[in-house]
Amino acid sequence: MTTTVFLQLVTNGLVLGAMYGLIAVGYTMVYGIIQLINFAHGEIFMLGGFGALLVYAWLPPVQHLPLLAALPIMLLGGVLLSVLVAVGAERIAYRPLRGAPRLAPLITAIGLSIFLQQAVSLWLPMPGGGKVHLGTKAPMQFPSFGGGAFHLGGVLLQRADLLTLVLGAVCMAGLAFFVAKTRTGRAMQATAQDPDTARLMGINTDRVIVIAFAIGAALAAVAAMTQGLRYGQISFDMGFVAGLKAFTAAVLGGIGNVYGAMVGGLVLGVAEQLSTGILAQYHATAQYGAAWQDVWAFVLLIIVLLVRPQGLLGERVADRA
Amino acid sequence: MTIIAAPKVSPLLARALMGFGALGALASTFLAWTWTSAFPGDLAVTGYPGGNQLITLVVSILTLVALASAYGVRGLRWLAPAGHVRLLRGLALANAVSTWYVLIAIVAELGGLANFVTGSWVAGLTVLAPVAGAFALPDDRREPAPPAPLPRWAQTLVIFAAVLLAMFVADYGITSGYSEEFLGFALAIGFAAWGVNAGGVLGRLTELTARNRPATAAAAFAAALLFVFLQTTDAYNNVADNILIFATVALGLNIVVGLAGLLDLGYVAFLGVGAYSAALVSGTAASRFANTVLPFWAQVLIGVAVAVIAGVIIGAPTLRLRGDYLAIVTLGFGEIFRIAVNNLNGVSGPNLTNGPEGVYGVPDLSLFGYDFEKPHVILGVTFGRFANYYVLLLVVMAAVVFVFSRINESRIGRAWVAIREDETAASAMGISAFRFKLLAFALGAGLAGLAGTIQAHLTSTVTPDQYIFASTAPPNSSFLLAAVVLGGMGTISGPLLGAALLYLVPYKLAFFQDKQLLLFGLALILMMRFRPEGMVPNSRRQLEFHEQQTAVAAAHALAEAELQEQEAGAAA
Repeated sequence: MTTTVFLQLVTNGLVLGAMYGLIAVGYTMVYGIIQLINFAHGEIFMLGGFGALLVYAWLPPVQHLPLLAALPIMLLGGVLLSVLVAVGAERIAYRPLRGAPRLAPLITAIGLSIFLQQAVSLWLPMPGGGKVHLGTKAPMQFPSFGGGAFHLGGVLLQRADLLTLVLGAVCMAGLAFFVAKTRTGRAMQATAQDPDTARLMGINTDRVIVIAFAIGAALAAVAAMTQGLRYGQISFDMGFVAGLKAFTAAVLGGIGNVYGAMVGGLVLGVAEQLSTGILAQYHATAQYGAAWQDVWAFVLLIIVLLVRPQGLLGERVADRA
Repeated sequence: MTIIAAPKVSPLLARALMGFGALGALASTFLAWTWTSAFPGDLAVTGYPGGNQLITLVVSILTLVALASAYGVRGLRWLAPAGHVRLLRGLALANAVSTWYVLIAIVAELGGLANFVTGSWVAGLTVLAPVAGAFALPDDRREPAPPAPLPRWAQTLVIFAAVLLAMFVADYGITSGYSEEFLGFALAIGFAAWGVNAGGVLGRLTELTARNRPATAAAAFAAALLFVFLQTTDAYNNVADNILIFATVALGLNIVVGLAGLLDLGYVAFLGVGAYSAALVSGTAASRFANTVLPFWAQVLIGVAVAVIAGVIIGAPTLRLRGDYLAIVTLGFGEIFRIAVNNLNGVSGPNLTNGPEGVYGVPDLSLFGYDFEKPHVILGVTFGRFANYYVLLLVVMAAVVFVFSRINESRIGRAWVAIREDETAASAMGISAFRFKLLAFALGAGLAGLAGTIQAHLTSTVTPDQYIFASTAPPNSSFLLAAVVLGGMGTISGPLLGAALLYLVPYKLAFFQDKQLLLFGLALILMMRFRPEGMVPNSRRQLEFHEQQTAVAAAHALAEAELQEQEAGAAA
């Protein structure tokens, strides 16, 4: 394997990993505070993509803007939709179950995930309904950048890839600042450590939980838009695998740790790309390449749970009974 | 606490209203409800009831019987040990909703009120009278008195009668020929079941079955066997086969989820492992081991063994951990299984499973010289291919039920409960949490593998898309979970009921097809919010889920008692 190929794989992995990391933040923040695996987060991610697409499809002026100028408007639509749904789900479905046996909210989350996925596939309102037939499982067109890739010393970097890396870095820096420096961010840390004491100290824990859901949803919407831009299409079931991968990233980095989510995402993305890339290099293992990519990601998850269950950046926390 | 302020109507008048209403509804079923035979079931015949009219007829009779019981007719008072009014309300609602559904369907399908004849108006108005009457009566909810002691043989007889009745009801549902009949039936059953349950007779029956386990099991098995003898064609046996496979796997999942409290989201993959294992060594030409033809018992052993090994491989790393990692790892395992069987096709992987085409042409079973493919005549009834499988599946289901109930009451079952409730406390008591959790997981995997080996022969084709997380055809992991959760975690009858409903409703109601996953998702959310213990609650689970309410009630009771004590002290 040449250095160029290796660097190309690492670059692709970092782009993929930045997206995983953005989604993983949602899992890890919610888990850190209320110990719930929010299975529906993959669907929140998917809704972010469709929110952006809806804005693009329903507002003809946006279509005439250069894509880079249209993106903030689309992003606004995506963030709005996914945050609304995430906060609504927390309010209606999860909050009444606080204090119930653990299985209850987990099953609710799965129900919500199935429901949101089906609702989008059945009822997504697209302009000129007949053209984009509803209820079909076909992916939908997403606008994408024209223009070729950048060449960085032999390594190709697509425009959308560059945007993903930039957005990922900006979002994570903003999040790190928010969690470490703002009042609300510190309230969030306090709630994650001990919700009861946090409440006694005058922190509105309900509000903190809502904010955690909202931030996770907003970052997932950013990730969904970059995914749409990179592949030129989004589909109603893209949240399933993306959610699984992002959760793997969150566990890899140490669930509950916001920085861990990003590190885990990057490590997972690079590992995934390298494993398939390296396997594809050799004749004997070539057939285990791209088609098996997801399998290697989950095998990595199982290995991490076996060897270092607290994750890369996680510390061993005592079980909260 | 009354929700609806009942208007002051003398109970005498209310009961009379009910009686005349039910009689009128009964009479109306002998009239024609429309003048063309275009509506399915032909409701245009005067003289004898047909189609949906039969449902109205039966519910009207039941209403009259319940009313007689409310009047205190001797020999009928056992019908509502916990109070008659809610039983009457349930039955009256069942009749009204089911009948009105048919009338609305007539208007909607045949086009306009012009299709109504005298009978339709009579039916529509008379079914409303019992509702008005039942809701005018004040609620007479009471603690049921202890039941009169029955001799053993009478208890057994009651259980057999109840189980047989349940079987006939289920048979009517399965063999209903058109969606109007099924929906009318389902509506009637739903409301009637609520009423019968609120009346307290179901609770009494549950007590009875709990005290006579062997008799109940024998009655259920006999009734299920009788189902085949009632069928005139093999078509509904196929439906019943699918329900049985679905229910058996759901029961296996219930060991993992309901008893041990481990959320397994890739359970259907174990069914797939069993099915693929059996299909590959069954001797079909599509298998890469086409020359290896093993007898069925060996296929079962291999299928179960491979499934258990897969379960241990997935479970061993994850079950050591606390928390919910298992859920996500099993979800990942389901995905790995799907990708693997799709790619083990000789192109993007070694040739093992024939890729998306799957392993087809799995031969029919032949056990002890009994060929499952050919029809056999037994006691004058022709057993077709699906009937043969039905009997086999019934035996397997009985075995799973046996394992479930025995293990539930053993040390292992109690250890599972302890771990589910509080793993730290259980470990402190010397229970090896990891070992028991792994046992539950492997046992569940093995049972699914067992069901898979039979499914491979029944469907004769094993493809990857049969075994995924969510699709429109049961069983898949999300349907299985829904069956367990809706039915009732930790119970035997819960998942059976859940599986039957989840299979029949989309199967019978065509308009439901593309929305079924949506509605199941919604049902999971609503169920967890409002009735987390499921339709058939396990008493221990019920307490668990309503811990807060019970605790609050207990605290209130304690405070009250203390207050009284103080007052008594002050008085002294």
